[in-house]
Amino acid sequence: MEAVVVDAGSKLLKAGFAIPDQDPALILPTKMKRVPEDGDMVDSTMFEEANIDPVTRGFIRDWEAMEDLLHHVLYAGLGWEEGNEGQILFTEPLCTPKALREQLVQLMFENFNVSGFYASEQAVLSLYAVGRISGCTVDIGHGKIDIAPVLEGAVQHIASKRFEIGGIDLTKLLAQELHKSNPLVKIDISEVEKLKEQYAICAEDSVAYEEAQKSSQAERHTLPDGQVITIQRERSLIGEALFRPSILGLEEYGVVEQMVCSISTVSSENHRQLLENIVLCGGTASMTGFEERFQREAVLCSSSIRPCLVKPPEYMPENLSRNSAWMGGAILAKVVFPQNQHITKGEYDETGPAIVHRKCF
Amino acid sequence: MYGGDEVSAIVIDLGSHTCKAGYAGEDAPKAVFPSVVGSMDQIGAVDDLKSEKDSDSISEPRNDGRQTESDKEKSRRKLYVGSQALGYRRDYMEVVSPIKDGIVVDWDIVDNIWDHAFRERLLIDPKEHPMLLAEPSSNSAQQRERTAEIMFEKYKVPALFLAKNAVLTSFASGRATSLVVDSGGGSTTVAAVHDGYVLQKAVATSPVGGEFLTECMMKCLENRGIVLRPRYSFKKKEGRPGEFQTVELDFPNTTESYKLYSQRVIASDIKECVCRVPDTPYDESSYANIPMTPYELPDGQTIEIGADRFKIPDILFNPSIVQTIPGMERFAEYAPSIRGLPQMVFESINKCDVDIRRELFSSILLAGGTASMQQLKERLEKDLIEVAPQAARVKVLASGNATERRFSVWIGGSILASLGSFQQMWFSKMEYEEHGVSYVQRKCP
Repeated sequence: MEAVVVDAGSKLLKAGFAIPDQDPALILPTKMKRVPEDGDMVDSTMFEEANIDPVTRGFIRDWEAMEDLLHHVLYAGLGWEEGNEGQILFTEPLCTPKALREQLVQLMFENFNVSGFYASEQAVLSLYAVGRISGCTVDIGHGKIDIAPVLEGAVQHIASKRFEIGGIDLTKLLAQELHKSNPLVKIDISEVEKLKEQYAICAEDSVAYEEAQKSSQAERHTLPDGQVITIQRERSLIGEALFRPSILGLEEYGVVEQMVCSISTVSSENHRQLLENIVLCGGTASMTGFEERFQREAVLCSSSIRPCLVKPPEYMPENLSRNSAWMGGAILAKVVFPQNQHITKGEYDETGPAIVHRKCF
Repeated sequence: MYGGDEVSAIVIDLGSHTCKAGYAGEDAPKAVFPSVVGSMDQIGAVDDLKSEKDSDSISEPRNDGRQTESDKEKSRRKLYVGSQALGYRRDYMEVVSPIKDGIVVDWDIVDNIWDHAFRERLLIDPKEHPMLLAEPSSNSAQQRERTAEIMFEKYKVPALFLAKNAVLTSFASGRATSLVVDSGGGSTTVAAVHDGYVLQKAVATSPVGGEFLTECMMKCLENRGIVLRPRYSFKKKEGRPGEFQTVELDFPNTTESYKLYSQRVIASDIKECVCRVPDTPYDESSYANIPMTPYELPDGQTIEIGADRFKIPDILFNPSIVQTIPGMERFAEYAPSIRGLPQMVFESINKCDVDIRRELFSSILLAGGTASMQQLKERLEKDLIEVAPQAARVKVLASGNATERRFSVWIGGSILASLGSFQQMWFSKMEYEEHGVSYVQRKCP
């Protein structure tokens, strides 16, 4: 049986058997609702459909919810049978605390009884997905941005950066702005999410952005409940926010400058290799016009070496940048499990959760 | 007595230039960031307050509560810790260092640095991890007690240990007896370690360190008319496709200290890339005609560095060269009293007992950022062979990897904290509560 690869993001959970060159079999939103048990007293005034996000900012926070979610994914979704669980590979973001990794290993071996486990960082996996082992990954996800220079498969931890801004902050900003321009309309946050995906656009450069702010076409959009809203300058505002975080109210430099700063921290003989192999991945990076804008700004930031974004190979499916961490995981799973570099149940029973630090890095 | 268990200890090395923090057992620290912080006086900049109030950023430490309860006499100020927060240019932000001449003068800043390391870089709760802190080889009792107090009272760590830098470097190379030459950012310290203890009478320090060399580099560049433009002060515009022009941005409210700090960062990078220790003592005439090395500044300007490449590192060996650099005259007064590296090593060894001198000569360890300069090891060995007695076998050891040399104190701490036999040596919270803070002197020799 093939190994299972799970990439639990803050918004979407991607899971599937490790068959490279194919999309993950299951892409579910990592969102759950707490439904009261039948036996409980349901007081209608207190009853609230609590939305639970087991994964916040890239890290698993709510372990019970995560367990339920994984249970559904593995047994119902992928068809594992109780008693015959296979091997599993998890992806994790940068700067994962040691305690979190140990908890995950414990959960998998004790509650799910998997036969083998491996964990790897998303930055390295995204590089494997495009066929490289060295380069700089810029992973712009729903809950966090990870910028990681990787050399020969090893993440340079000292130079890598992690930011707690992501798609969710852009959604909140859009909701705020839409509320300002359409004060009478009440929009649900999940609707705003869809609007963002549909309409957000990155201006070509800062000059074009200024013009777009002054005059842009007003689009009218009909919400499912019938209300009509107009979206005008908010479209390019969202796109600009990652390049100019002051829009989000943060005192930071834009994502491109942070990447260039990060690369300059690594010793100079590797700069060329890193700048010429930049991989953009993550849901938010698939915004219209984002890649071109990124490339432009990167060329402006660095002088002698011309930064290049890596183009995904032709044999990979279309949406590679959204699922690149999962794809890389599938490729890695094909290498790690047959060569017995993973943690087996026997090893876990002998050493305990701390073995994850020794075997998976 | 603290049992240990499988819980990982945290190792922190707060140097004068960078702070290194990470988990014990690993081979490199996870968090490396400058130990200077940005400080903005809140009374002076009221307008900035309003724009910062509603932001939810991770770059601002949540220190407001602590400020009001700790020191009311000090003006309320906001501290920006870490390379990300410090790297962002803000109006009126001053750059402040908590350490002067190797001694901590501002405990509030140190507190904030530790907090940043735990909560924002390593993402851990200090209550659950024993802490191993590296301290300078000649630390005063008062400093140690203050450290212990803050760690136990504020962070409620379960156990603590304070280890001397020199001892940790010694462990990192697997020796119990050695002479450690630690050339870091703020100063150079030569200390003799014997059986895991620092011989206090043989510790020598010199203010010539990485930052001093950077200062010299800046003066040299200034004298040649090269202007270092920090990253925030310019922007590139694309005129026609392929052609770029640099536009200068003016930020009148940037403080002088921030500007200097940003320029130092650039000068420091130039120094690290380009400087090499000369094989023989530097003199103007022999290096007048050597080929120049190009270096590209952030704003695209390419500069050529020639003789300065060799002159600046030679300051470590011969501090009186400083007097020949125009602009550095203020150091001329006490330059004669500063000794070069080989003299310091020789003096230090001579202050030790005759029996161990031989062993010290044959195991001289290099550590620290400045020690990773090219050819330093060879030159030091050569100079020492000249001064040392005939019978002694001089051997300077340094790990080949520049990263390892830079972090050797931290790596030593990582090794020490993960040893099984060390687990009984921790100064635990219980012992602190029972015997008080002065017990740290006994527990951490």
